[in-house]
Amino acid sequence: MRQAVHDILPCGVEYGVLPLPRRHVVALQIRLLAGVCSEPDDRLGLARLLAETIDKGTQRRTGRELSDAFDAIGASHGCGVGRETTTLTCTVLAEHFEEAIALHAEFLRTPTFPDDAIEVNIELAKQELIALEDDASGVADKLISRRAYGPVLGRHSLGEAEALERTTREDIEGYWREMFTAGRMLVSVAGGIEPARVAGCLQEHFEGFGLAEAAGREAFAVEFTPGRTHHNKDLEQEHIGICWRGVDATHDDFAVQQVVLGILSGGMSGRLFTELREKLALVYWVNAWQETPRGSGMLFLGASTTPQRCDQTYAALLREVDRLAEDIEQSELDRAVTGLLSVLETRGESTRSRCGELAGDLFFFGRPRSEEEKIARIRAVVIDDILRYLATYPREPQCVLTLGPRALGGESVADRSEAKRTPA
Amino acid sequence: MNEGANGPYTLHTLENGLRIVIERMPDVRSAAVGFLVRTGARDEEASEAGVSHFLEHMMFKGTPRRTWREITIDFDRMGSTYNAYTSEDRTMFYGWVPKAAIGRQLELLADMLRSTLPAGEFDTEKNVILEEIAMAKDNLEHVAFDFLQEKVFAGHPLAWPILGYEETVSALTRDTMMAYFERRYAPDNLYLVVAGNVDPKAIIGLAEEQCGSWKASGTACDRVPPTLRVGKDVEHVDRFQQQFVALTFPSVSACDARAETADAAASILGGENSRLFWNIVQQGIAPRAGAYHLDYTDCGAMLLYGACQPESTEMLLDAIRSEADRICREPVQADEVARVKNRRRTSLAIEGETPYYRLTQLMDDLEYLGAPRTVEQMLADVEAVSVDSIHAYFASFPVNVAGHLTCVGPRTEVEVAK
Repeated sequence: MRQAVHDILPCGVEYGVLPLPRRHVVALQIRLLAGVCSEPDDRLGLARLLAETIDKGTQRRTGRELSDAFDAIGASHGCGVGRETTTLTCTVLAEHFEEAIALHAEFLRTPTFPDDAIEVNIELAKQELIALEDDASGVADKLISRRAYGPVLGRHSLGEAEALERTTREDIEGYWREMFTAGRMLVSVAGGIEPARVAGCLQEHFEGFGLAEAAGREAFAVEFTPGRTHHNKDLEQEHIGICWRGVDATHDDFAVQQVVLGILSGGMSGRLFTELREKLALVYWVNAWQETPRGSGMLFLGASTTPQRCDQTYAALLREVDRLAEDIEQSELDRAVTGLLSVLETRGESTRSRCGELAGDLFFFGRPRSEEEKIARIRAVVIDDILRYLATYPREPQCVLTLGPRALGGESVADRSEAKRTPA
Repeated sequence: MNEGANGPYTLHTLENGLRIVIERMPDVRSAAVGFLVRTGARDEEASEAGVSHFLEHMMFKGTPRRTWREITIDFDRMGSTYNAYTSEDRTMFYGWVPKAAIGRQLELLADMLRSTLPAGEFDTEKNVILEEIAMAKDNLEHVAFDFLQEKVFAGHPLAWPILGYEETVSALTRDTMMAYFERRYAPDNLYLVVAGNVDPKAIIGLAEEQCGSWKASGTACDRVPPTLRVGKDVEHVDRFQQQFVALTFPSVSACDARAETADAAASILGGENSRLFWNIVQQGIAPRAGAYHLDYTDCGAMLLYGACQPESTEMLLDAIRSEADRICREPVQADEVARVKNRRRTSLAIEGETPYYRLTQLMDDLEYLGAPRTVEQMLADVEAVSVDSIHAYFASFPVNVAGHLTCVGPRTEVEVAK
């Protein structure tokens, strides 16, 4: 298998290319190193507003004409705003790669931000904030993120209604000029394409795109707030979220953390599924996962259950974490390792998945990592590593969030109609 | 027994009626295998609503060879990406593994399909299902689409929810489930599908070994197509913040030669970069509006739907109706058709890369067309969609007539424009 190419172009764009011969498609991911963390404190929601309006008109085309141009090459494309980045994804047949880059460059470099598009997308963002209330897991995620990460890293991409109403076209344009530059671009490409073709195309289209100097590489500080909080909401189930500090994606113990999560929640034989669902039937959904902003890592446990069983579910979640240090078996470590390695062969068949892997490597490590390197790190994990990890990164202090009609150790909310419109 | 080759496929039928389809993908490192059971919520009696889905869960609970714990351990030991799902008309069990593990994966799935439905696990799993039903009730779209099915297909088995009702699931007995299982999970009601870097002869040999002794049931497919209801139904659920609305009209089934055209019509009207996106969402009327071709083996429906602030409900409905009327009165533009076809081509190329997605495509083809299609054949079907075929579709299946209006949310009543 060919190795990925990685370089920084004279225009300032950092890029990586993984050539996958015989693939018909090319997957592209552009990470602009500006997400919700980069928003001004009084303009929360600005990053997403920029992402929603930047393709609604360019100096050459209307938003609709631009969408039509993407469709003309059959592009499967999208945009998402995260804590640290705004990510554009696109998959096209290989012959349309240059046109896909040209279209991205067009809206990234020459947006016109039509007034009506700004007005509509502010209105839509306010409606989405209300709509979020109909998604219990989305609300729980929003609430626990604030506690886990603090007021900057823990922001929600939808922002706040008041801030959205204050946002002007000058705010959007100013943020775009500052944040959308060649020096903040990480471009990852995988598929049936040669690296030289990618490099030439990117240099041509992004030369002179704002500052070329590398920017946006710094990590944001986590402000973790341990403790227990409850939010009343009229729901059938109680949502429970627990989080504590772990390690970041570049840490030597990251592979150990991956294996720990695999043992807890890597498959149906994982401890959480086995104990909470198969044996105790407390839940339909239970999971353990990690989030790793640059420079930090957070472990999460989540479950939803009928309110009268939330205390038992909470206790069972913690018990399974604690039990890891007591009776971990080689066989479950082996299964977790096998699970982590086999996805490289299964989901790794997908060009988009390979592109996503490369993008993560550039973002976290500043270089592509070979499959052999990833495999070696995971294969090296032994039980002693896990015991040491659990002692070094204990589940306390932790942050606990419950969302629903009943607090842990408490009574059900008597007046469910009062709880109904409690905003998150 | 018949055996033969059809392009890149190996087709084989065991003496007990189990049909096997294998697509060899020599360039990949993995393989996926799945059993498609031709049974789902629409094959249930009203009193046993939810049994198909509950049974799907129970298939993971024990066999003559394995306990539930051994089943899950064996899946994870081979590094499988695995799961199962139940729909109105099918139940699927699958595993996607590195190619070296495909034999073990097939053996495990085959073993599961002869579940003993362990009595000791039945009530435990029932509680899990009840939690799943509770979780679904907290999701507006889930509540809304269940209500839509209940009203549009009233009086027909497509009306009840896949998960069943709390009452029917609570009352379900293991004996009822066992009878359903024996009736519906016989080899002559199953497909075994494999896609990936495999040796077809070895797969067939293994299938003979694992599944050859299964007894056929001779179960006839006695599905009756529904008649879609016309009218209006409002479900008042005041704990949701948004109002969901949907207009439902008759459409073609998944087996119909016009199914690809119906999909394209839905995409032009309410997919990405569609008329509803630009004329409703990007006008600020509602954050969500779309169109969807709901298709089963013997019937179909075209859904035009959206979710908005309760006070905007009539505006959203008027806007949807206006676009529905326009697409019926004026032929779609050639470039609209071309755009949808371009997107579909890319989507097929992406799905064709991985054994799992090829597996799902093959299962759709077997269920709906009776035979698999190559990616090239699928592309040819996309190519056949035209301005004329879409125009003809809306002439046959207009969406500017009286359909069914479904409303779910805080509103107790919704005014319908005359």
